[in-house]
Amino acid sequence: MTYEPGDRIRVVPAGKPGHVRTPSYLRGKSGWVEAVIGPFPNPEDLAYGLSGLPARNLYKVGFKQVDLWDDYEGQAEDILYADVYEHWLEPGEGGTA
Amino acid sequence: MGGLPGGPVDRSQHEVEDWERLADAINGALEGRGLQTTDQHRRAIESLEDYRHLSYYERWAAATERLLVEKGLLTSEEIDERAAQLERRWS
Repeated sequence: MTYEPGDRIRVVPAGKPGHVRTPSYLRGKSGWVEAVIGPFPNPEDLAYGLSGLPARNLYKVGFKQVDLWDDYEGQAEDILYADVYEHWLEPGEGGTA
Repeated sequence: MGGLPGGPVDRSQHEVEDWERLADAINGALEGRGLQTTDQHRRAIESLEDYRHLSYYERWAAATERLLVEKGLLTSEEIDERAAQLERRWS
């Protein structure tokens, strides 16, 4: 499955042992695909000396800060962007952002 | 830090010390020789038991040591022995 800019997504809520590049504070959070960055060898495998192949698609994903932090005191429109690999994403609710 | 409360951010500028430049250079050299990758180094940093009590380049140096031992390029004893030699020379 491949996502396109504007697609609503959710970060997979699961924990995973070992090296991951998806911050724990994004797990289970909803956002949208801002841009497709492209395919790269999987860093979760590269970290253990493996090939990281097949390459995984990497996306620039946007989140509203108020959706990430219970006590967020900044502006309601503040956004956090994070680079997230495709295997950490699942389809989210509500069409395009 | 890591999405957890970490207190206020220290925004002051820090002087880079010689050993920190060396830690950076050794890392670059090991990567250049294909002996270590950024992803392996990040994984080693995360696995440090005292991660939260170490400074940025202390983590780098400790993770590099861990990888060198893991790959069988050096032993902990060799590293400790060399460190003790240097300490005697400089103290």
